[in-house]
Amino acid sequence: MDGSFQKSGLEALVDDRVDEGVFRVDRSIYTDQDIFEAEIERIFEKGWVYLCHESQVPEVNCYFATDIGRHPVVVVRQKDDSLSAFINVCSHRGALLTPKKQGKAATLTCRFHGWSYSCDGRCVRIKNEKEGFGEDGFDRSQYDLNPISKLASYRGFIFGSLVDDVEPIEEYLGAAATWIDLMVEQSPEGLEVVPGSSTYVIRGNWKMQLENSVDGYHVSTVHRVFASTVRNREERESLKGLKQTEGGRLVGIVPSGAYDLGNGHMSIWAQHTTPERRPIFKKKEWLEANLPAAHVEWILEKGRNLALFPNVMLMDNPSTQIRYVKPISADRAEVTVYCIAPVGEGAEARSARLRKFEDFYLTAGMATSDDMAALEDTMAGSFASQAQWSDFNRGLKTMTHGADEGAKAVGFDPVSSSESWENETLFFGFYRRWRDMMSASD
Amino acid sequence: MDIDTNLKREVAELINWETTLLDRREWDDWIDLFAEDAVYWVPSWVDEEHTVTDPETQLNLMYFQNRGGIEDRVFRIESRDSYASLPLDRTVHIVSNILVAGVDDEEISATANCLVHSFGKQGGQTRASLYDFKFRKNDAGLKIILKKITLIDDKLEGPVDVYHL
Repeated sequence: MDGSFQKSGLEALVDDRVDEGVFRVDRSIYTDQDIFEAEIERIFEKGWVYLCHESQVPEVNCYFATDIGRHPVVVVRQKDDSLSAFINVCSHRGALLTPKKQGKAATLTCRFHGWSYSCDGRCVRIKNEKEGFGEDGFDRSQYDLNPISKLASYRGFIFGSLVDDVEPIEEYLGAAATWIDLMVEQSPEGLEVVPGSSTYVIRGNWKMQLENSVDGYHVSTVHRVFASTVRNREERESLKGLKQTEGGRLVGIVPSGAYDLGNGHMSIWAQHTTPERRPIFKKKEWLEANLPAAHVEWILEKGRNLALFPNVMLMDNPSTQIRYVKPISADRAEVTVYCIAPVGEGAEARSARLRKFEDFYLTAGMATSDDMAALEDTMAGSFASQAQWSDFNRGLKTMTHGADEGAKAVGFDPVSSSESWENETLFFGFYRRWRDMMSASD
Repeated sequence: MDIDTNLKREVAELINWETTLLDRREWDDWIDLFAEDAVYWVPSWVDEEHTVTDPETQLNLMYFQNRGGIEDRVFRIESRDSYASLPLDRTVHIVSNILVAGVDDEEISATANCLVHSFGKQGGQTRASLYDFKFRKNDAGLKIILKKITLIDDKLEGPVDVYHL
């Protein structure tokens, strides 16, 4: 940082005058590299971030390598089945410890000079230790791995923090916890990440990826072509049942809504007019026998997108997705997508879930690719400093403070509710959290 | 196994023709090279060294169980309503290492390598793939019944559609 960016300037970047009918952000928050560096320090390295799903470290000694800000981090399943997470670098010279993204190893041995660490982080072997450090009084434990300050799992979704001073995980998730519950409670055996994933680079700011995932307003323009393509397919091939695609939300003719869930978390939903086309519909009877009616209705009939501040999105719409975003620079982010599905799901439903995922969600799919193109155009436009404001006023006058009837039915308490997923009031919470973390005193 | 030289030539011609039609945007002729039951498959990577192997239980970048999948893609391209496909990236495919791997009464299999250079709004980029083909031979000639594209690049930049592969 060259010091040109100061915390005192932040208030001016988020123009939060809801009482006067204005909420907008200065587009330099997407383009300014000094702001980006500050985001890494003050948001990603000073609060909870999503790390991985428990099914990605299924057994003792399994590891999953990820990042918190600039810090490589590894999550490891311990002998007692608990989870630990460490800075994923050798204490000696800082080489990355894990050879792969995901694997299983009783000890992690640095491939540079051969130092070894047990899966609980203890430095258990230094190559030629006696020759180099002498026989007496040498304390190898000074080289144990650095554990991260906080690690917590909420129903299988694992979050970590590099600092100790964070709220309990339940408090951080707040109203968003119910939205995770609505995914998890679909399966008595839990959820699992399906093998295979895709990583792609967006040539845009990481916040735009979060915005896009809960922006219902673009759907009936950007995804109009997806709707017409699948409609054409269904007529051509006379498809039935799970092979058909839910189309109501794509053309904007269904009830929908948006929530500012607090702490920067956001969510949108849209009514499914044909829930029988969803893989989870195969479990309708089980859901009805085991869950409250309002939960069943939310699960079966409302397609849902959840964005958790600052780095993960959970979708339960045409298919079910974990979308993880890793900020690279102001104008670049890496996104990795995984299909997450109920353990023990039937073959027909699992296959349909995968086909729907591939149809819509990937950079090689027929909707996410269009989202990326729109996002990248938005990034290109954001450099125009003489047109500096991005506007989030839609729905400002009609939003409900607190919970609407739908939220009350399943018991979550949002900051605000909006009667259409085209409204933008959910972003108030996102940018207030952003502003508050960026301007917090050290 | 001794493979008929004419057949080798015919397979190479078809593979070269297939990618040429993509670069020249002759979509209908391109689709016609595929049998109606042709499978079009782009596996994802399950780890750094292996792709997925079972489309029914694992995630792919694309998996079309019949020719309708590529017809959908062409429908979308030609609609001029797809943000990612307007303007359309320019592409050039360079195919090499074409080898006929096996022949039986029903099917002919072949492998090849492909480099695709594309150019669009964000500039130029080159991606590489391994091709696995299967063909069915009848009186009218060869039809593609499988095109499997193992895209060796990960961390994909920009949208990827059938003409990028």
